[in-house]
Amino acid sequence: MSTTRFTRVNVAVVAMVVASTSALAACAPGSSAGGGSGNNSTDPIVIGASLPLSGALAGFGSFQKWGYEHAVKQVNDAGGLSVGGVKRKVNLKIVDDKTDPNQVSSNIKTLISSDKAVGLLGSCTPDLVNPGAVVADSQGLPFVAGCDPLEVFTGVKKWTWAWDIFFSVPELSASSLKAMDELGFQTNKKVAILHDNGPDGKIVGTTIWPQMARQSGYQIVANVEFPVDNADFTAAVQKARTSGADILLVDCVTPQAISLRKQMAAVGWTPKVMVNEKGAEPVQYAQALGSLADGVIVGAYWDPSFPYPGAKELQQAFESETGRTSSQHIADSYAAAQVLLDAISTAGSTDPQKINDAIAKTDKDYAVGRVTFAADHTAKIPVVVSQWQSGKPVIISPKDRATGTALFPMPAK
Amino acid sequence: MTAPDLLTRAPDVPGPRRLPPLTRELGLLAALAVALFLVPYVAGEYVLQIGYLVLQLAALGTAWNLLAGYTGMVSLGSAAFVGIGVYTVAELDNHSSLPLPLAFLLAGAAAAVFALLVSPAMFRLRGLYFTIGTLALAEALRLWMVNSSLFGGASGIFLRSRAPKSYALYWMVLGAAVLATAVTLVVLRLPLALRLNAIRDDEDVAKQMGVFTFRTKLIAFSLSAFLMGVVGGIQALNLGVVEPYGSFGLSWTVDIVMVAIIGGLATRTGPWIGAAFAVVLEEALKGYAELHLAITGIVVLLVIRFAPRGVRGTLTARVRPRASLTGDRGR
Amino acid sequence: MSLPDTQTLLQAVSSGLLLGGIFALGALGLSLVLGVMRLVNLVHGELVVLGSYLALALLNSAGLDPLLAAPLVFLGVAALGYPLHRLVLAPVARSGEEGPLLTTFALSIIAQNVFIQVFSGDTRALDRPYTRTSVHLLGITLPTVYLAGFGISLAVTAVVYLLMTRTGFGRQLRSSAEDPTAAAIVGVNVARVHALTYALAGGLAAVGGILIALCFSFTPTSGTEYLLVGFTIVVLGGLGSVFGTFAGGVSLGVLQSLGAATLGDGYRTFVGLVLFLVILAVRPEGLFRRRMAA
Repeated sequence: MSTTRFTRVNVAVVAMVVASTSALAACAPGSSAGGGSGNNSTDPIVIGASLPLSGALAGFGSFQKWGYEHAVKQVNDAGGLSVGGVKRKVNLKIVDDKTDPNQVSSNIKTLISSDKAVGLLGSCTPDLVNPGAVVADSQGLPFVAGCDPLEVFTGVKKWTWAWDIFFSVPELSASSLKAMDELGFQTNKKVAILHDNGPDGKIVGTTIWPQMARQSGYQIVANVEFPVDNADFTAAVQKARTSGADILLVDCVTPQAISLRKQMAAVGWTPKVMVNEKGAEPVQYAQALGSLADGVIVGAYWDPSFPYPGAKELQQAFESETGRTSSQHIADSYAAAQVLLDAISTAGSTDPQKINDAIAKTDKDYAVGRVTFAADHTAKIPVVVSQWQSGKPVIISPKDRATGTALFPMPAK
Repeated sequence: MTAPDLLTRAPDVPGPRRLPPLTRELGLLAALAVALFLVPYVAGEYVLQIGYLVLQLAALGTAWNLLAGYTGMVSLGSAAFVGIGVYTVAELDNHSSLPLPLAFLLAGAAAAVFALLVSPAMFRLRGLYFTIGTLALAEALRLWMVNSSLFGGASGIFLRSRAPKSYALYWMVLGAAVLATAVTLVVLRLPLALRLNAIRDDEDVAKQMGVFTFRTKLIAFSLSAFLMGVVGGIQALNLGVVEPYGSFGLSWTVDIVMVAIIGGLATRTGPWIGAAFAVVLEEALKGYAELHLAITGIVVLLVIRFAPRGVRGTLTARVRPRASLTGDRGR
Repeated sequence: MSLPDTQTLLQAVSSGLLLGGIFALGALGLSLVLGVMRLVNLVHGELVVLGSYLALALLNSAGLDPLLAAPLVFLGVAALGYPLHRLVLAPVARSGEEGPLLTTFALSIIAQNVFIQVFSGDTRALDRPYTRTSVHLLGITLPTVYLAGFGISLAVTAVVYLLMTRTGFGRQLRSSAEDPTAAAIVGVNVARVHALTYALAGGLAAVGGILIALCFSFTPTSGTEYLLVGFTIVVLGGLGSVFGTFAGGVSLGVLQSLGAATLGDGYRTFVGLVLFLVILAVRPEGLFRRRMAA
């Protein structure tokens, strides 16, 4: 009795699955792999982006989302993007990747197949940019990213379709040491390094900083590695402190950067110079720490004061629209979107190959400076050194870009 | 005094004696497999990608169901087995030229070996302790992968071979889902199923009745791990670049539990239904990038509240008259 | 790998010990909920984070010091916990124990999403004058806030212990934990006791969240981390055991800092988890558990 019922249910379920699959198939878009949505058509052009809008990196995602949307809005407000003599609206599709690399991969795939994106924009951090770039590269669709340090990006593979506009890790890491020389900081030249074990933290902490420091006559007296999600830094701080270093170089993400600075204050240690790459960059660092952030140095690649077209306006637009303090990430995302949009316009077509060729030929001033791509598909943004002073980032080096004078030594409290 | 089992009240599972003949069910499965195999010939890229996600979760949910649904071992360590599969194929891809099916089998085998190695410790834990223990185990493995430089560390590994076409990936994962389901169907007809059920209902009683509980649990644990490892191996090819945060991420574990419970625990078709439900919901909410997780959460809350036995279980309850429900083991 | 000197080791172990005590308060509620109603409360971490955010909001809006705000935050989150259990968790608990598990997971993703919408994804921290001072003892330096947090955690644990052992509610709670059916027969309103326990657990988690936010930083997704640390502490201490949880936290803190000091900081959490698994295998009832609750 119940046996037949069970079977009946199972048959029903199988039938349902088959039916729904065929229904999906029936309403599915054609089997072309995207990108081919008609060159002469006047339909909107679809640009796709996967961003961390939830999960650990949601903070970055919100800035990037604004940068991408702002670039597209400007084009649409001007009547659309001129492609082959026709003005076409741009439809930006942004999906959340939940800070999960698996999700990035699947998002980029459906943006290509379902949304028929003709070009793609990247997520943030190597963990989330690289999986998307790999998909774009294998499916043959142009992909422009910011927010992926160049050496980590090029370390993955030789790219055909993916492009990266960001800073170079060695350059950024060296900038703070150079600034110390330039500004004539008087220290005992002893350096303590604290770094996380993420892909870039490891390179910076174990290779780049030690090399650079030795070259410039500094001595490494402590080097501590900790996990990306470390919480207690008292032992690490103790090690750095007892090493007698005047200079503390740190590479870690924001939550850890904040915890570390608090614990340094709690044990009452203030080195003469403190550099905290990566984590000390966003304004939330200074907001969470208050006066404790004062004097902390961090490499930067953008400031509204830079003499680039639209830099000042970009910050004003962000702050008036959102009421929040801006971040450098609005600039690299804005520039990445503009590079892609300009390339589509230059290509005069939505043909992926033509767009990709146009991206390669990019040579123009954007809000992050001049963008030209090297043979390894990277465009390097020049770096500067900034220091937190009363909750505001002040550019202290190089001198021709400086917006204020450096605090030295770092204030104790 | 041991903690009571998590699953003392299982949904209505017929004893092995009451199942329809294996041939009929395998026939149905084969029909389904053929139908799904043909999908790439009519459907576009998008359907194949969605199909991949559905079948991936169906396979994983089925594997988990074997352990949690039929044996009562609610594991929150799935991410470990998936991750091992991912990394096995990533390493094999870069250091050997093994044919893919063999690489997938090795991925499954690696996960099963890991299950075997940790079983002495894990099986000392019952019920809730087992659940939490597996969670800690997976987390420990993830941290080790992040910190050790043995397999690329936090930077991960790039797979040299070019990613297969969507239809190929779809077929691979279809194979895994069919394999997982076929394994479940067969296991349910073996005397083993009786022992698994006995352990689920009361492990101490099962032991007293003469069931070799350790051996029996180990079979379920490593079978489940094997199947998850295979799916992980396919995912490595799908991703093309693997790193520990995503490969060993908690989201695998959570998605698997969600799929199995929404579909209906200890039902053969539940994981498939749950997988389709979860993926379709996700796709439907794509447009609400900021709020889709909260909406997903609310939908899950409502499903558990109003279809507590899962979609499949609720379906059965509707078809079956109430009398046989109360007369059966289900309450 | 060279062995660290005594001074470094002493420093590491003592800060680990204090932090373990602080995290124990965050885990106490998790332990109660597990022990009393056998609920794997996956939203526990978000309750901890909620405490951090509420304290931050009170500090920014009313200038209320987080430690003075703790009773308010406790009551606020407890007041949320009671109906949450009554209306959302209790109804699904009837159909087995995996439904509530998934329900708490759904609540956790909803909570994380709400945190992002309300407070943005930015990292936050509680910064007070006393989080910037330290105490020097025997040549080691301990942040004042670690010592204060440890003291508060110990005091709250003692209060909860008294509540469990010396009050009518405590008796009802323990009887509901041991045998809900028998408790119901002798007139205990088990549903109410469960909801109150959940409320208490939420309030404790929130106070733990304040302490953690004073020492570290937090984000909308920090809860997942706290949940895993919490589980480790709970299993070390034994499910539902009040002082066991505290001892579990302290020993986890010490073991981890020893591991970090000898193997490197990268292995801190890993060492904790492995030791936890080993202890679990050898002594599944927890290191500090005598018998049933309390």
